[in-house]
Amino acid sequence: MQSNASLEYDYSLAKKFTYLTILFGFLGMLVGTLIAAQMAFPELNYLLGEYGTFSRLRPVHTNTVVFGFTVSGIFATWFYLGQRVLKVSLAESRFLMVLGNIQFWLYLVGVLAATVSLVLGYSTSKEYAQYEWPFDIVIILVWVLWGINMMGLIGIRREKALYISVWYYLACFLGIAMLYLFNNMEIPTYFASGGLGNPMHSVSMYSGTNDALVQWWYGHNAVAFGFTVPIVGMIYYFLPKESGQAIYSYKLSLLSFWGLMFVYLWAGSHHLLWTTVPDWMQTMGSAFSIVLILPSWGSAINMLLTMKGEWNQLTENPLIKFMVLASTFYMLSTIEGPIQAIRSVNAIAHFTDWIPGHVHDGVLGWVVFMMMAAIFHMTPRMFKREIYSRKLMEFQFWLQTIAVVLYFTSMWIAGITQGMMWRAVDEYGNLMYSFIETVVILEPYYMIRTLSGVMYLIGFMMFAYNIYKTVTAGRKLSTEPQFRTPMA
Amino acid sequence: MFHWLEKNPFFFAAAISIVISFAGLIEIVPNFTQAGRPLIDMKPRTVLEIAGKNVYMKDNCMACHSQMIRPFKSETDRYGAYSLSGEYAYDRPFLWGSKRTGPDLHRIGNYRTTDWHEAHMLNPPLIVPGSIMPAYDHQFVNLADIETAYAEAVTVKNVFHTPYGPEVRRGREAWEAYKPTLIEEARKIASDMKDPRVIEAMKKGDVPEVVALIAYMNSLK
Amino acid sequence: MDIREMQGYANFFMTIILVLILYGYIIHLYRSEKKGERDYEKYGKIALDDNITSTPIEDKPASQREYKEQSK
Repeated sequence: MQSNASLEYDYSLAKKFTYLTILFGFLGMLVGTLIAAQMAFPELNYLLGEYGTFSRLRPVHTNTVVFGFTVSGIFATWFYLGQRVLKVSLAESRFLMVLGNIQFWLYLVGVLAATVSLVLGYSTSKEYAQYEWPFDIVIILVWVLWGINMMGLIGIRREKALYISVWYYLACFLGIAMLYLFNNMEIPTYFASGGLGNPMHSVSMYSGTNDALVQWWYGHNAVAFGFTVPIVGMIYYFLPKESGQAIYSYKLSLLSFWGLMFVYLWAGSHHLLWTTVPDWMQTMGSAFSIVLILPSWGSAINMLLTMKGEWNQLTENPLIKFMVLASTFYMLSTIEGPIQAIRSVNAIAHFTDWIPGHVHDGVLGWVVFMMMAAIFHMTPRMFKREIYSRKLMEFQFWLQTIAVVLYFTSMWIAGITQGMMWRAVDEYGNLMYSFIETVVILEPYYMIRTLSGVMYLIGFMMFAYNIYKTVTAGRKLSTEPQFRTPMA
Repeated sequence: MFHWLEKNPFFFAAAISIVISFAGLIEIVPNFTQAGRPLIDMKPRTVLEIAGKNVYMKDNCMACHSQMIRPFKSETDRYGAYSLSGEYAYDRPFLWGSKRTGPDLHRIGNYRTTDWHEAHMLNPPLIVPGSIMPAYDHQFVNLADIETAYAEAVTVKNVFHTPYGPEVRRGREAWEAYKPTLIEEARKIASDMKDPRVIEAMKKGDVPEVVALIAYMNSLK
Repeated sequence: MDIREMQGYANFFMTIILVLILYGYIIHLYRSEKKGERDYEKYGKIALDDNITSTPIEDKPASQREYKEQSK
């Protein structure tokens, strides 16, 4: 292929998926805040009749955040940075453009319909895989389309060396494909029973303990390949590009990549400690969870060291602040996870609010912060406009940081309190507390969490507003900024 | 050593696939047949109980309730004997849950009765002061999808050889023939219930969701 | 030998092999850089210099490029 001076990167797909990231992010967090409030104020369960109870809305929250927000963000950033690190424009292939657009519409319709189906009560009850079989097929189709697109773009690349971010996106594609496919193996009962009952209903291919193992092999690694791998891929591109500093050690990034790939998958069974899965699997899950600290911190330290000698940028550029905080939260939650995977700690932590606390310092602090930073970085380049307001961005940063801290601290206390109360015995060895006493005592923490949810949601709305104003009213840029994102 | 791999996207993708599938193969496969074995003489759920399990899934009770009693004295004192792998052998999907906002339900059938559940589902804080569980009033109005439950029994019998009798088989005729047995089973549960909506529906030969759900919870022992 | 015993041996030897592979990879990375066969750190620049008109870090198929470097 000849290089062409008039050739430009085509951002139309990246733009479309950016809109979706913001839309699904808002919806997911809105529902999340509502269900957090429902635990503090149970009357809020009755807003929408049978469709508004905590139990119905929880999968709506989790699935919208996972398959709506995060997956759109992965697509948006891929269609942006994929072109750039491969030095090839999507516009060079009509086929890839058409494919990308089919992927976009199929994805949009699929996720919206699947969300409605969850509200209506169609659920396979396997966490983060609740979508019934017709939507599983749509998700898999979308995923395959993305895979073809990625491979196609790699096929026509100019830069022959694959940058480390591309590795991570490739791994994300392969990992999710494998996990999703195996965990969602199910048989529609309508077809297997000669046309009886609801066509949407299905039964799992696996039963009992096996189903649990497959599910948590999936559940744990959907976090790995959805919330970790692609986000690491993002930060390996956006942090160097925004700061103008190459990755501290490219070798370390290669090493952590293979480490993460190999180790992460083993740790799934730490979700099943003290259950009926065989002991050796539980031990394996615990041990590998500890080993997992190494590759995770390998990446995180690499990111922080990238800023070596340039820490002044932290005060000068709010985007660097977002990304540095994201990697710090990544370190926090990748040390917290292994601690919870120690058997004796797990005996207290499992089934309590400490677990949602852990999930949220990872997701709110790491995934969402990184994704927002990526969008802040991409928007001026995609729309050739300056960021609308730096002040708003700074304010949003502090508001959301405080929100995350409130969230996980309140849930740590709530979780450990409840875990200890469940097992507390008096001098005669009798249980000290009835179950309801361990619920009532958590109310103040649930209120703090609601407050933190509201704060985080407001921060996200400020982010959405800032992007909207940037696109419509930001000062026009004549040339594409090289490193630091310009902001007013 | 690895450089050719890192340059060639196809082999690179293959290498990632091998590296990431390792763990699943080693952890899941060796115990697969053993972990799927039921306890001796264990019976699969009745069709009504399956319908109840589907209500449990539809209203996603597992968001707040576990069905997994861990082998600690504090748990066996509170909920009963610790759970065994074989007890779950017919559960598709497993419903262990991952969060106890409410108590474990794996042996709830041992210590709660039909009328306790009825009153509790209508107004949890009235029965358990301080409870943050919402009322599930709609379960008294909505009808359980018993036909789908039957379809599920047929499916697991034919595909996974779950031991159901000859009365569970494919096709509409078989279902129509089986239906009276199911209604009879539901009547036994409903006879302990007081809600006029339930009584009215049962008279018409319908099964409200709550009846199926209680049948399911009573079977959790 | 039952399956548990086999798993025990497999676990032991796998741990050793994995440690060897890990250190082998680290040593390989540093040695190939020291010997001048490959400069890994230059790939970090792909993210910084990513205009569509900028010169790729590596623009020939791997086989040809390695040949050229060796003959230098």
